[in-house]
This record gives sequence, structure tokens and C-alpha cells, in this order.
Amino acid sequence: MTASIQETLVSDSQAPWRRWARRHGWTFGVWILLLVLIAYYATLIPRFGAFQVASIVNNGTPLVFLAVGQAIIVIAGGIDLGVGGMLVLSSVTAARLMEGQPLLVALLIAVGILLAAAAINAVVAWIINVSKVPDIVITLGSLYFFQGLALAILPNPAGGANEWFRWLFTGSKTGIGSNPWPAIVMITITVTAIGWWLGKTKRGLSLYAVGSDKTAAYLSGLNAARVKILSYAIGGAFAALAGLANTAIAGRGNANTVGGNLTLNSVAAIVLGGVALTGGIGSVIAVIPAGLILFFLSPILTAMGVDPNSAQVVQGVLIVLVMAVTGIIEWRRRLRS
Amino acid sequence: MSTPPTTAPLVESEEPTQLQKVARYLINHPHVVLIGVLIVLILVTGAIESNYLSFSGLRNSALFAVPIGVLAAGQTILMLTGGIDLSAAMIATGAAYVAANQSPKGAAIAIVAGLLVGIIAGAANGIGVGVFRVHPIIMTLAMSGILLGLFTSWAQTIFSGSTRMGDFIRTLGGGSIFGRTLPWAVIVWAFLSLLIIYMLRRSGFGRTLYALGDNPVASRLSGLRSWRVLVAVYTLAGLLGAIAGLLLGGRVGAVDLQLANNFLLPSVAAAVIGGTSIFGGVGTYTGTILGALILGVLQSMLTFLGAGQAIQQMLYGSIVIGLSWLYTRIAAAQ
Repeated sequence: MTASIQETLVSDSQAPWRRWARRHGWTFGVWILLLVLIAYYATLIPRFGAFQVASIVNNGTPLVFLAVGQAIIVIAGGIDLGVGGMLVLSSVTAARLMEGQPLLVALLIAVGILLAAAAINAVVAWIINVSKVPDIVITLGSLYFFQGLALAILPNPAGGANEWFRWLFTGSKTGIGSNPWPAIVMITITVTAIGWWLGKTKRGLSLYAVGSDKTAAYLSGLNAARVKILSYAIGGAFAALAGLANTAIAGRGNANTVGGNLTLNSVAAIVLGGVALTGGIGSVIAVIPAGLILFFLSPILTAMGVDPNSAQVVQGVLIVLVMAVTGIIEWRRRLRS
Repeated sequence: MSTPPTTAPLVESEEPTQLQKVARYLINHPHVVLIGVLIVLILVTGAIESNYLSFSGLRNSALFAVPIGVLAAGQTILMLTGGIDLSAAMIATGAAYVAANQSPKGAAIAIVAGLLVGIIAGAANGIGVGVFRVHPIIMTLAMSGILLGLFTSWAQTIFSGSTRMGDFIRTLGGGSIFGRTLPWAVIVWAFLSLLIIYMLRRSGFGRTLYALGDNPVASRLSGLRSWRVLVAVYTLAGLLGAIAGLLLGGRVGAVDLQLANNFLLPSVAAAVIGGTSIFGGVGTYTGTILGALILGVLQSMLTFLGAGQAIQQMLYGSIVIGLSWLYTRIAAAQ
């Protein structure tokens, strides 16, 4: 997970399967963990069928999108505490505008929200670039700004969404059903597309380059400031997509949702998904199962007879443990060199 | 680090004009600016609502500033070391919750139990940041989630009893001496302020915080054990958070798990307004006190204007972004 470039070079001379394991082992492991957890969950509850699968996939969708957005920003060397606020903002805007609209108008509104979110987050990245204030401080400000704006747009839980728009994210016109396929297709298309873009195109790889070493990327001719803006814009659009999914699931918007907790979940998901918070390392494909696992913790704990509020405790402890272990590895490596 | 070429170099003319001299003076004496801003805000608020310019009006602003100021004391000492505490509000809430729960057993036990919450959570933060080198934001954000989960769960089990604060803490948070004039909370804050200002200016520990934040490598090479300092300072910040929680809970009277939620960003904002740098090594608690008072007056003004939570959050968010930007520019110019 914290393989340095040196190790990657060494691994090229090793057996192909070891190279594969080194490169994709973490991704593979997280997917296996998700399947094991689902299998375990199936033994815990009396009836496990399409409804349960749909419930996990559908309700986990917002966190998956949010975490993918965070992953893109973190891979490019930033961190956006504002994604949770962006989710809430997008969700309430959608709920307010979409109420009573036909599907076509709803889709146009959705596209408009995605573009607006990308533009707003691009401005946030621009401020980080120009002010040279750490990402964390500026986005702490933007988190509260978005949350306040959301509250101004929709002071009380209200609004609605077109029923076919709800079907698009949940496979059901009422938001509750046994059809996980629309959500699965939605996640697969968007995340595979962005994963392909990140790993295979020149522009996408520039995010990894800037994230792993800003100075080296700059010296080799990349415009680091522009790459940061690009990563924040895409990340913001994914956060907004998470907000749209949220509106589709709930059928309305709630500005009292605490964006800070959502941000924390997104950070937890990318840490579990093997994205290094120092930037430059990670895969968005591994973030899908990580996001689903984090959402999945609370139903599992409930099924085990443990207070579902412990899920939050488990998440927090998990982040700290992963960070502590990687922190110590990094520190020892630095001491040795 | 390389400087991206997009920023234009700061052009300085040879002959400083009168305006530039004034600007330079103000840049070197930020507290003068802060006091000026505070006075202007008080006058503007007075213009909006004439009743405000009275003892009770100003007293309300001061009362609002107390929990911000105490929480911001924790943020200030942490920001000096390059850290931050995003769990401060949750620590305050947890401390108040436990204190309210233990109130039937007497004031002393309630206060000690509340403060213990802050000490334990703060020490855990310190161990995470100092020993295991977790980034302060991640560590404290995670701690905030952990505390929220624990207390939501405990509220139905081991702390399911009273949510009403004991009379002694209520007096401390909301009562006054000399009739209805001088609030106890303000006295407690003033006392804490003297201690913190003394600590930062005169004590070896205080100077260590500046050294660590200014240059961690140099402090390590000169023999400083940074992990001990970090554990100590995060524990102290946790304790301050708990005190803020008790004062706030005492003023409100009854506690719930949202008690201090709205005070997290103002506490960071107060330190940022006061000129404490998030990079570490720069800042004073005097500045933070002025920042807290400014936010207290701002709160009164927004209340008179009928601005709700929405406007306040956007405003605080903008203040954090705008001022951290401004101070970074000033620091670069110096």
C-alpha cells in the first residue's frame, strides 16, 4: 500500500504473479473482505435474499461515490474535508428543484448540479493554490460554507424527486425494493470510467504524478496547480453525485445531515481502500468495496446484537489503526535512510 | 519546495507612502486592528439595536464568547504545535453529558468525572498524534466520531440517568456574583486566560510549543522529545474542552449530544482571527481572546438581524478561509 517507486521498479523483475499481488493485492483483499462479510451477514439473519443485497448496495451508494471523490482528490495530493458538505448541498438542491418535475427536467437538473459542484470545488482548489493555505484549513471552511448554504436552501427536511429518477439510483420508484441492479450499473459505469481515466490516460496519470511528488511533477513539466483544480473539480462532482443518490434514496433533502461525519466516513473508506493519505498511491476500484463495507458495518453489528452506534466507534478506531500502522512504517523508513 | 510560477512577486516601491507606513504599522501590531474591529462591530450592533449598548447587552456577548474562548484556548495551543482539535466540540459535549449524569452524586464528583472525559480523550489524541504520528486532523476527526458513537450508545445504557446539570455547575455556567452583574463563567475564563498567557509566555513548556511548531526538526535535534510535548498539549486541550463543555452545559442547564456542535468552527475561527497560524509557531492567546470576543459580538449582531444558523455557518466558513488567506499573505510579506 505504501510501495515506493523503488519497490515498484524492483517488483518488475519478479515473477508476474508477485507483481500482480503487489499491485492489486490490496484491492483484491478488500473485495474478498466484502464478500466474506456478506456471507457472514447471511448466516446471521433468518432471511437473506435480493432485498437485503439491494438494501446494502443502494444505501451504500452515496458513501461509495463520496469516497471515490475523496480518493481522486487525495491521490492528487490534496484532502477535501468539504465533500460531506457538498453532498448535503447537492442533495437539498436536487430535492428542492426536482419536486414534481418530469424525468427529463430532473435529469437536466442533475447534470446542472454536477457541473455546478465541479465548478464550485474548482474555485476551492483555486483558493488553496493562490492562498497557499493548507487544503485542510480551506476545506474546513468550505465544509461549513456548504453546510450553511444547504441550510439556507432548505431550512427544514422537505422537497422531492421524480420517481423514475429515484429508480435510477435505487431500482424502485419508492426508494425501497429488491432490485440492486440500477445502483450496481451506476457505480460500475462511473467508477470504472474514472478508474480507467486515472490509470490509462496522460491527464489521469498526472494526478498520481503530482500527488506522489509535487516538485518532481512540476520539474517534469506538469502544471501542479491546474492538476489540483482538476482533481477537486472531479472530486466535487462525485460528492454531488453522492448527494443526488442520497436524494433518490430518501425522496427528499435534509440539510441537518452532518456533513462532517460524512467526510469522516469518506476518509475512512479511502484509508480502508488502500489510498495513501500522503497522495500518489491508490485505486478507485478498491474504494467501492471499502465504502460498502463501512456502510455495511452497522447492519452487521445490529444483526450481531451489538448497538449499531458502535459502527461509528469501529470506523474511527479503524482509521486511527490504519493511519498509526502506516505512520510508524513511514517513520521507521525515514529513520533508516 | 518550488514556487509555482502563477503568483506574481510582491512588488515593493522604493519610497514608502504614508498609507504604506500605516499598513506596515498595522501588520506589525495585529492586536490594534483586532481591537478596532471589535469596537466597530460593537458600534454597528448598537446602531442596529440601540438596547445593545448597555451592560446587559455587552454581557450577553461576553457570555456567548466564554465557551468559544475556552475551546479556542485548546485550539490555540494545539495550532502553535501545528495541530488542531476537531474533536473539541464532542469532548465538551461528552464532558457535559457525564457531568450532568453524575450530578446527583454531588458537584465535586460531577466536575471531576466531566474533566476526566476531556483528559482521557485528549490524551488519546496526543498518543495518536505524538507517538503514532497520525495526522492531527484525521486523529481528532476520528476521535470525534468515536466519542459520538460511544456517547450515543452510552446515553441509553450506562449514562441513561439524569441529563440535568447540578446546581453548582449551573451557577458556574450561568450564574453571576454581585446580583446580576459579573457572570461566574467570565471569571473562570479570565482566570484560565491568565494561566494560559503566563504558560505560553513564561513557562518552559509554553516556549516548547512555539519551538516545536516553528521547526520540529530543529527542536528534535536540540533534544526535545516531541511526543511527550504533544501528549501533554493534547491532554491539556482536552481538559480545556471539558471545562468549556461544563460551562456551556451549566448555562444551558440540560445536556444533549448536540450541545457543543455549533461551537467547533467558531473555536477554530477565533484562533485564526486572533492571528494564530495553522502552520504552527505563530500566535498568542491574547489574539484568540479578541477573536472570541469579536465572534461573541458578531453573534449578537446576527441575532438582532434575525440571521439563522445558515448565515452563521456560511459566515464562519468564509471567515476561516478569508482570514487564513490574509494572514498567510501577511506572513509571506514579512
